[in-house]
Amino acid sequence: MYYLIILLVYAAVDAMACLGLSQQFGVAGVTNFGFIIFQAAGAYVAAVLALPPDTANGGFQSYLGGFGLAFPLPWLGAAVAGGLLALPFTFLVGRRLRGDFAAVGLLVTAVLMNLLVMNYRPLFNGEAGVALVPAPLRQGMFVATSDRYQYGFAIGGIALTGVVFWFVRRITESPYGRTLRAMRDNDKVADSLGKNLVALRTGALVTGGAIAGLSGALLVSVIGVWSPAAWSYAETIVLFTAVIIGGAGNHIGAVLGAVLVPVGFEEVTRFITNNNPDLPPNLLPSLQWVAIGLLIVVFLWVRPRGILPERRRMASPRPAGLGAGGAASAGPAGGTRAVRADQAGAADAPILRTSRVHRDFGGVHAVDRVSLSIGRGTLTGLIGPNGAGKSTLLSLLAGTEKVSGGQIEYEGRDITSLPAYRRARLGLVRTFQLASEFKRLTVMENLLSAVPGHRGDSFLGAVAGRRYWRADERQATVRAYELLDSFGLAEHADDYAGDLSGGQRRLVEIMRALMAGPDMLLLDEPLAGVHPALARRIGAALRQLCQEGMTILMVEHELALMDEFCDPVIVMADGAVLAQGTMASLRERREVVEAYLVG
Amino acid sequence: MSADHPAAEPSLSAGRPDRTASAAALRAEGVAAGYGGDPVIRSVSVQVGPGEVVSVVGPNGSGKSTLLKALTGVLRVSAGRVSVAGREVTNLAPEEMARAGVGYVPQVDDVFAPLTVRENLEMGGYLLGRHQLPARIEHVLGVFPRLAGMLRRPAGKLSGGERKMLAMGRVLMLQPAVFLLDEPTANLAPAIARALLGEQVASLARGGAAVLIVEQRARAVLAVSNFTYVMGGGQVRLEGTPHELAADPAFVTSFLGGRADGGGRADGG
Amino acid sequence: MSLLLASVGFGLITSAVLAIAAVAFTLQFAVTDVLNLAFAAVMTAGAFIAYLVNQSGYPVWAGLVAAMAACSLLSVLLNYFVYAPFQRRGSAPITLVIVSLGMALIVEFGTAAIVGGISVSYSMSQGSTVGLGGLVFTTVQLVIMAVSVLVMGFVHVLLRYTRLGKAMRATAANRMLARSCGIRASRVIATTWALTGALCGLAGTVFAIDVGSFDPSSTDIFLILILAAVFLGGPGNAYGAMLGALVIGLATEVSAAYIQPDYKYVVAFVLLLAMLAVRPAGLLGART
Repeated sequence: MYYLIILLVYAAVDAMACLGLSQQFGVAGVTNFGFIIFQAAGAYVAAVLALPPDTANGGFQSYLGGFGLAFPLPWLGAAVAGGLLALPFTFLVGRRLRGDFAAVGLLVTAVLMNLLVMNYRPLFNGEAGVALVPAPLRQGMFVATSDRYQYGFAIGGIALTGVVFWFVRRITESPYGRTLRAMRDNDKVADSLGKNLVALRTGALVTGGAIAGLSGALLVSVIGVWSPAAWSYAETIVLFTAVIIGGAGNHIGAVLGAVLVPVGFEEVTRFITNNNPDLPPNLLPSLQWVAIGLLIVVFLWVRPRGILPERRRMASPRPAGLGAGGAASAGPAGGTRAVRADQAGAADAPILRTSRVHRDFGGVHAVDRVSLSIGRGTLTGLIGPNGAGKSTLLSLLAGTEKVSGGQIEYEGRDITSLPAYRRARLGLVRTFQLASEFKRLTVMENLLSAVPGHRGDSFLGAVAGRRYWRADERQATVRAYELLDSFGLAEHADDYAGDLSGGQRRLVEIMRALMAGPDMLLLDEPLAGVHPALARRIGAALRQLCQEGMTILMVEHELALMDEFCDPVIVMADGAVLAQGTMASLRERREVVEAYLVG
Repeated sequence: MSADHPAAEPSLSAGRPDRTASAAALRAEGVAAGYGGDPVIRSVSVQVGPGEVVSVVGPNGSGKSTLLKALTGVLRVSAGRVSVAGREVTNLAPEEMARAGVGYVPQVDDVFAPLTVRENLEMGGYLLGRHQLPARIEHVLGVFPRLAGMLRRPAGKLSGGERKMLAMGRVLMLQPAVFLLDEPTANLAPAIARALLGEQVASLARGGAAVLIVEQRARAVLAVSNFTYVMGGGQVRLEGTPHELAADPAFVTSFLGGRADGGGRADGG
Repeated sequence: MSLLLASVGFGLITSAVLAIAAVAFTLQFAVTDVLNLAFAAVMTAGAFIAYLVNQSGYPVWAGLVAAMAACSLLSVLLNYFVYAPFQRRGSAPITLVIVSLGMALIVEFGTAAIVGGISVSYSMSQGSTVGLGGLVFTTVQLVIMAVSVLVMGFVHVLLRYTRLGKAMRATAANRMLARSCGIRASRVIATTWALTGALCGLAGTVFAIDVGSFDPSSTDIFLILILAAVFLGGPGNAYGAMLGALVIGLATEVSAAYIQPDYKYVVAFVLLLAMLAVRPAGLLGART
């Protein structure tokens, strides 16, 4: 009977941990090979918060603190500790480091933290670990050994897991969760849409860490001891196995994985050895680990998305009552921002100006001291032979790449050193030349992910719940349907963007950039692979947007479109600006013809 | 195919070369290829005879580089066939293409940057016997004398023009029957580009090889070509000798537009 | 003999063992694009092969050769049946890292299941001690260092002067261009697995000789040292791995003498994390 209860508590602990891990790995795309140290931190902190000072027990164990706090303070402390422990690791999962290298860094950290705690006895009693951790609420009303207490504990643990489940679901199903999944699919693009990657990844590490810490508190409260042997790095692999098998990013899958792998497989089989005295004592545990390894490899091969793959989020139906246009264009999902009062007087001033902007790649001047200014409300074309530096210039303007020298001014403000996401938030938004849709988000989600200032697109907004952000979502959805209608993709709203044709994906990208409500749009060959007739319609639509106040700078190699829609057109060659004017006038200029024909 | 093979001298005044199939070192018929979705190029047919320089020109995005990647086995050919000296080589792996006598100089990533110039040449001659290497390297250095003084320098530290010479020299190591050059003059200063096309590329053909060169600097490459294809929208729009093309008003507009049919585009939507 | 000198001596031996492993690991990564976290598990498997040979009455050096052969084969099979299929399918690098962790479990605990979880030692003599400029080594330790120096020389000659080594570097630098030169990249990659696998078996056996007694999980921590050496020097850079091994070996042992032996790995850990944070390309830059 006792065994069954322990099993239930283990199930709660593992399910909780898997939910935290799935949130990091499956939803936010952060591979945290050091996950177990967050659970360990929670367990230790819960233990020392609940234990009396170590001098009280005759010195048989030594540990830091010993506060003798009453439940639920130790558990809260554990969650806080797990969350805080995540902060120092922000630098590993920031924007610079490859995901697999960061994962290795976290794995190394986990191994060495274990080593450190094992060898430094004053901290948490070294290798022996802390023992005699008081179970919560066992005095007074409850007697720890009574059946009622045990059952109550198990039910309480399961209820707590339910709360965690509800919590991660609330986050994941919010616009903030959508942003996390967008970052997972393509972090560079999320950055260019104004998402702060460092903050988002830190948020995922802290949330997962707090959940792991809480699971540690639950575990240490039931088993009463906690030592380095309980949290070897291999335990992280077990949890990863569970999440991969259950289905990364699917919360029910995470719980299922927890029940199947750590509980069903590890704990249950742990007792088989006892009945087989003939076998060497080490054989079955070893084979168990071999099986875990096999499960990982086989599942990643046969069913990489797990038993319950992440489900597709269907778009809410067209909100009734709100007609096209009109009311929909106000608010965060509206088209262009209203011109701010302080800029109204400067309507004639260029919206963007560069002076001697420069970029070297290993000695090659990709962009060579370019000075130009873009007039407000223009649809400017940027053309030039391959290797002229057009895409690089666009990246420099958007902040995707850093300049080697020179200055960029936007709306009269020096933005040269601002990161991409800050520029996007100022209304300077870019698209990419290569496919950059969020593959495992639907077309509708791709569009909604770009909406700036959405009340639900922050951790707190997500926690506040649907009611808090429903109006914004509704407005954004109306706007998204408008765009889908005008781009002829309405029937694909619920398709995964990764399943569309090349041309359709280009359109999703343009629509997504428009959803960001830019003042200035930087388009990198937006119409490559789009049907000529449709390309012409989109060109007309872009020009319409410019007449309404938006500014567009567009790299495009289809010169016929330039003729029709762009004025002025800037010609680049060998990293420098060669000429500027209408397409017709450029065609007359010898140096332009030469750049194309002679080089 | 020896170095002193009597070769056609590329010049604008040369008559229209023999475009019959029997003379072709490289022949592509009705080739379609792309990157997984719809094909980027469709029913493209080109051929190059031994000792010829044939150019493929066209604006950005017209499918020139895609064509070369399909011819070298880097991209899968989804329709049509490719043959080298009469032997069908459609969809052979890149390493087998090299063994079949096709040398490829990509537009970027055209040398092994961490390896020295000599090591790059040795890799070019990977299929040769050890005793053949020194003589071949000598031969290549004869064609590209500038490389002789920098054999121990890492390829990543060369200038743009030197780097492109090394890339061509690396391919020359095997004396391939066919050279495929993808925009060799991109990122080169105009004078260096002209010299590369006028001297080095021409010398490859003088050695008896068939040279297919993809270029954006149409006028410069036309000056050294025996025959030229103009691509647009993934298809061959015009073809002819440089002489014929120079006289065709459609040629200039195919680059800078201005006419209704000045280059359709691939339909991906 | 001073504490410093003694710790430098220990450090040199650790560096010698570590260098063999780190060079093999980094070459594997450079040429094959697999960050193979099963490397240390394969090392242990090799050490146990050598142990089995040693137990059958042969000298441990014969066991070492057997370990090299076995690990070479095991690595080739790992690539052929596991890593290469995942790569052909276009799996993300992080997926391959997770797969390699799974393989680490399978190999490590597969070994444990076969040999049992006990600690074993080779039966061999440590030989007489030799004083060298204030440092004192046993003959076996000197042999280990000589082997390591030989391996480094071998790798250098291989990479700089042989057709295979240059093809390996060419494949690491630009796989598609290498194929366009007629290099059968899949063969070069298979050969790389065979070669680095043999070095892995060698490293496993000299590691076991060096530590004296070992069990199937002895190399868990050693994997961290390998990673530290590899990332310190620049992932994929063979000379960087040699330098990284020297730095990590000396840093851990010298710090053990002055701080506390239990914390010696913390230095490696801090060096690795600092490197990842500040200069992910490592001291000598990535790739050979």
